[in-house]
Amino acid sequence: MRVSKKVISIVLILSLVVCSLFAAGTKEATPAAATGVTTLKWALWDIASTTYYEPLIKAYEAANPNVKIEMLDLGSADFMTMLQTQLSGGDSSIDVVTIKDIPGYNNLIKKNLLLNLNDKIKSEGVDTSLYGGTTDQISVDGNLYGIPFRSDFWIVYYNKALFDKAGVAYPTNDMTFAEYDDLARKMTSGKGADKVYGAHYHTWRSAVQLFGILDGKNTIVDGSYAFLKPYYEMVLAEQKDGIVQDYATLKTSSTHYSGVFYNNSVAMMNMGSWFIATLINQIDQGKADSKEWGLVKYPHAEGVPAGSTLGTITSLGVSNASKQKDAAFDFVKFVTGPTGAEIIAKTGTIPAIKTDEVIKIIASKPGFPTDAASSEALQVAKTYLEMPLHEKAAEIEVVLNQVHDEIMTNNIGIDAGLAKMSEQVQKILSK
Amino acid sequence: MPSKKTQIQKQLVAYSFIAPNFIGFAVFTLVPIVFAVALAFLHWDGSNPITWAGLSNFTDLLDDDQFKAALKNTIVYTLGTVPLTLISSLFLAVVLNQGVKGRNFFRTVSFFPYVASLVAVAAVWNMIFNPSKGPVNLFLYKLGFENVPGWAADKHWAMITIILFSVWKYMGYYMIIYLAGLQGINPELYEAANLDGTNAWQRFIYVTVPQLRPATFFVMVMLTIQCFKVYDIVYMVTQGGPGTATLVLVYDIYNKAFVSWNLGSASAVAMVLFFLVLTVTLIQFRGEKNMR
Amino acid sequence: MQITSKQTKTNTVILYALLFFCALIMLVPFAWMLSASVKLDKDVFGFPIKWIPDDIRWENYQEIWTTIPLLQFIKNTAKLTIIVTFLQLLTSSFAAYAFAKLQFKGRNLLFLGYIATIAMPWHVYMVPQFIMMRYFHLNNTHLSIIFLQAFSAFGVFLMKQFYEGVPDELCEAARIDGMNEYRIWAQIMLPLSKPALSTLTIFTFVNTWNDFLGPLLYLTKMELKTVQIGLRMFISQYSSEYGLIMAASVVSLIPVIIVFLALQKFFVQGVATAGLKG
Repeated sequence: MRVSKKVISIVLILSLVVCSLFAAGTKEATPAAATGVTTLKWALWDIASTTYYEPLIKAYEAANPNVKIEMLDLGSADFMTMLQTQLSGGDSSIDVVTIKDIPGYNNLIKKNLLLNLNDKIKSEGVDTSLYGGTTDQISVDGNLYGIPFRSDFWIVYYNKALFDKAGVAYPTNDMTFAEYDDLARKMTSGKGADKVYGAHYHTWRSAVQLFGILDGKNTIVDGSYAFLKPYYEMVLAEQKDGIVQDYATLKTSSTHYSGVFYNNSVAMMNMGSWFIATLINQIDQGKADSKEWGLVKYPHAEGVPAGSTLGTITSLGVSNASKQKDAAFDFVKFVTGPTGAEIIAKTGTIPAIKTDEVIKIIASKPGFPTDAASSEALQVAKTYLEMPLHEKAAEIEVVLNQVHDEIMTNNIGIDAGLAKMSEQVQKILSK
Repeated sequence: MPSKKTQIQKQLVAYSFIAPNFIGFAVFTLVPIVFAVALAFLHWDGSNPITWAGLSNFTDLLDDDQFKAALKNTIVYTLGTVPLTLISSLFLAVVLNQGVKGRNFFRTVSFFPYVASLVAVAAVWNMIFNPSKGPVNLFLYKLGFENVPGWAADKHWAMITIILFSVWKYMGYYMIIYLAGLQGINPELYEAANLDGTNAWQRFIYVTVPQLRPATFFVMVMLTIQCFKVYDIVYMVTQGGPGTATLVLVYDIYNKAFVSWNLGSASAVAMVLFFLVLTVTLIQFRGEKNMR
Repeated sequence: MQITSKQTKTNTVILYALLFFCALIMLVPFAWMLSASVKLDKDVFGFPIKWIPDDIRWENYQEIWTTIPLLQFIKNTAKLTIIVTFLQLLTSSFAAYAFAKLQFKGRNLLFLGYIATIAMPWHVYMVPQFIMMRYFHLNNTHLSIIFLQAFSAFGVFLMKQFYEGVPDELCEAARIDGMNEYRIWAQIMLPLSKPALSTLTIFTFVNTWNDFLGPLLYLTKMELKTVQIGLRMFISQYSSEYGLIMAASVVSLIPVIIVFLALQKFFVQGVATAGLKG
């Protein structure tokens, strides 16, 4: 039976019509907020999936009726690149800037795009001690260009149901890397579609590489990386023995860490605290099968106390070219202050101000595991930034990512890889 | 002898035809390009004041590992993709030209890779060529191969993976060019060859290929330029990895421009790329002229 | 053809087998896309590949309209694509006529300038171009995308190659009849160039419809964004909703296919004659 072109066109047009019927329940794109007296433009990302933007804006606008906040979604994938492009050549349309990562933050400072907040902090009486020392980590020569409003740190998620089924004791809040490795090996079982992996490392280099900085003896921008050897050895051995999925497969299949956890196919997973809100939400919507889960603190090296972990901070800054710097800083002060922190905590995200109050709010959110160990896991002793503030951070990161990729795909031996990393980073440092 | 007045009038008329397109082109494309070319001799990060760099952006490249890897990879990629695409699209066109049934269907289908969204297509490709679970390697296992290729995750196979992907994507588009070219060949030539008692292969070599020279020329020029400028495909399939195995020139340009914000250096690499393309294209033009 | 009928039969079988194989490798990704578009995100990348999922999630096709303003995006993309295509066809064929059929000073140099710019990757002049656009206050307007895409060198190149295949005698005869150049273009060249115009239409349509980086940079206001940006919105910082991405990709592919089918007849002839006449 020959299907004529006409028929095909009709079918296609019909399907378009059907789609637009679906679209009848469409989400309307909201036009820009009407200008009140002062409109502040806030550059950020993922409006659709972030739960704390609306409550923060609503609360602030209620308290400040002559200010309107207009959100500018630049997408999360290349946010810092897009932000810097938008700001290039002296753009004054953006007032409040969200700072997503340290290398980007460093670039913004180098390009004089951020307002130096020292004066405002003094005159407005902002208490920087509330931020647990993170403001020191992002100061350049004593000058602060951003105030943290979110902090995320790495913890271990585990699947209670799988542990129960295997009859193995849950992970604890005080595990060494050796103990973590042991537990992962114990929990690996099965084959093919029924296989359960003991652990899971996402393809970001921070999931593996940064185990090495947790004893505080080295940083990732030192230029000498032999200290990473034992950790790569542990992970590659786990890969080889089938304890974790191998990096090459994960990378080429675009597998997202959330999917494998939802599917009950991994027993433990090291990941950031941002995943808590997503996990709760997805279980709630019925899209995740891993209903029984818990948290424990990150494993630690031998001889180092438990509770040290990696962290990232998301900060807010004010554009140096903004024409409404005072109003912008007032909003920044609100979001990064105690009121803002509580609003953020209520949505299940961890704010930068981590008081006991805040931890309690998060732990009592419906869907958060009810066992004591999980809320204790949120108590962090020391946070090491994933990428410390450094002038050449962006370039160094390119090398770190490239060599990590090579080592994890077994395209280069660990020793040769670490030597290459050291050599290339030293070249960058000496330029 | 046409008067001076009509001469000028003619020129003005000609310019008036070009004006709409050229003005838009000049303002929105040509001017930024000229500025970008100038940037190769300057230091700029997009925000701070511009400073003079002279030739230092270029001399720095001599010691730049990323650039050197990118240069080598781009040349390898082009040398691999151009002949393979040419041959496969020519072959497909010849086959389709045999008066097969459903020719229109095949023609439409072969165009799909070109129009499809790269995000979706790259994801599928990686799934199919997944080193441990993809159908391709599972099939190779069944055939008895012990050491199957690591495809996108193996530094020896990553470039081959990219080349294969590109050939797949471009094959249909260039096939259409050849198909049309084939239809333009005078059938009397084949009849004459027949009378001389030639077989199919000889007819292909001595009639088809020479008659397709204009088409081949067009394909080679466009393909070469396309290959030198490759970025999206590499970004989607291997992200330049593993390590720097598939880092190509435009990828390096992107890193320099938008990660390090060293716009001068990025422009310098772009100038190298541009001269490479120009040289190769001129060689092809010269070769074509000689063959006439 | 002096081949035995047995050979013809085997040849034909081999031919069809080859063609079938080629069609298969062309279509497999689409089959996968369709199959993925009705799966839950966590199942999209599962192995072994389940071509027909156990429970088909048609809800994906509903969710794409509510999670992001996809209808608005499609409207925007359609508007941009149609305007750009029209402008491209008009200005490119206009300019190409001069390059192909008229003599004027600086013709070759100008044309060379056009071609040379094709070799420049866009990332290189993206920032200067952006700053200039912003200076003209074209930021966050659809006009910015139109100006970027409507005046391409490629369009002029393609049309010029085609026009060169049209015999000069046609134009000469028209001139002798007293037609001015504009009428020659409109009444002789334009009708003859339907194949090339169809070709350019398809190219421009696909390019503009699939353009990602331009809209990403210039259209930051939500109500101005296009479909490709919409697709990436399903990849947020902490999750990738591939099921929805595939569903939206399938939907966004439909207009492209319609245009291609409609113009196919002209298109093949058009691609052929552009630049092939020696």
